[in-house]
Amino acid sequence: MADLLAQGAAWLESQRTKHLTTTVTYVRNDEQIAVPATIGRTKYEADDGHVVQIEYTDRDYLILTADLVLGGQVSEPLRGDLIREGPREFEVLDWRYSDPYRMTLRINTKHVGAVET
Amino acid sequence: MPVITQIADAVVATLNAATLSQSVAATRAYLPRAEVADLKTLKVTVVPSSVVNASASRSQSQQDVAIDVAIQKKPGNEQNASFDPLLALAEEIGDLFRAKRLETFPLAACIKTEFKTIYAPEHIENLRTFTSVLTLTFRVIT
Repeated sequence: MADLLAQGAAWLESQRTKHLTTTVTYVRNDEQIAVPATIGRTKYEADDGHVVQIEYTDRDYLILTADLVLGGQVSEPLRGDLIREGPREFEVLDWRYSDPYRMTLRINTKHVGAVET
Repeated sequence: MPVITQIADAVVATLNAATLSQSVAATRAYLPRAEVADLKTLKVTVVPSSVVNASASRSQSQQDVAIDVAIQKKPGNEQNASFDPLLALAEEIGDLFRAKRLETFPLAACIKTEFKTIYAPEHIENLRTFTSVLTLTFRVIT
């Protein structure tokens, strides 16, 4: 019997990718790939240490698991990878699957500045 | 100008004049605040921290002035080889002041150096950024 929930989730993901994404560049070392991504959450926060305060922009990207193809194979994100969105660069700090069927990655990043040319 | 800020300025002057393993351009701040993006280059911030007043004798007063020195940088990766030089720099800065008088404020003698935060693991974990805070305590007897 077909898993209707899985089919429904796949359809929703296809709709999200078709209608709610912007193209970003995913970068690992010398490799880069253009992928459609949904901006899932953006927060501006400050880490108030004892003496110093560090401010940062926290941003999540939703990317189809199958779209993240690096070195010719589907890859999981790695801490330190970069996502370039226009002139801005975000560093990958953490990730998890966004759905029970592992179709979508939710990648947590922090803004690290402008893309260096 | 308050004694603590004069001492903080003297610490900045000493740091900027010193020959250390990495080039340092220290600044004084009341509220040291940085964006992650600003930390791609080394940031050293000198912050007035606390003053304890006491009597040194019937005619003399003693002030113990604490100055925090924050060393921050976002290295390209999280390998030990990237963090070790930063921790070494923090140690060097401690050595630079330990048991010495400040050249531009010779009334102040450094009596203690203490790493309040030798490094902040949460900044490495959450921001991939190195932060070390060294507290220098200077004694001024007047």
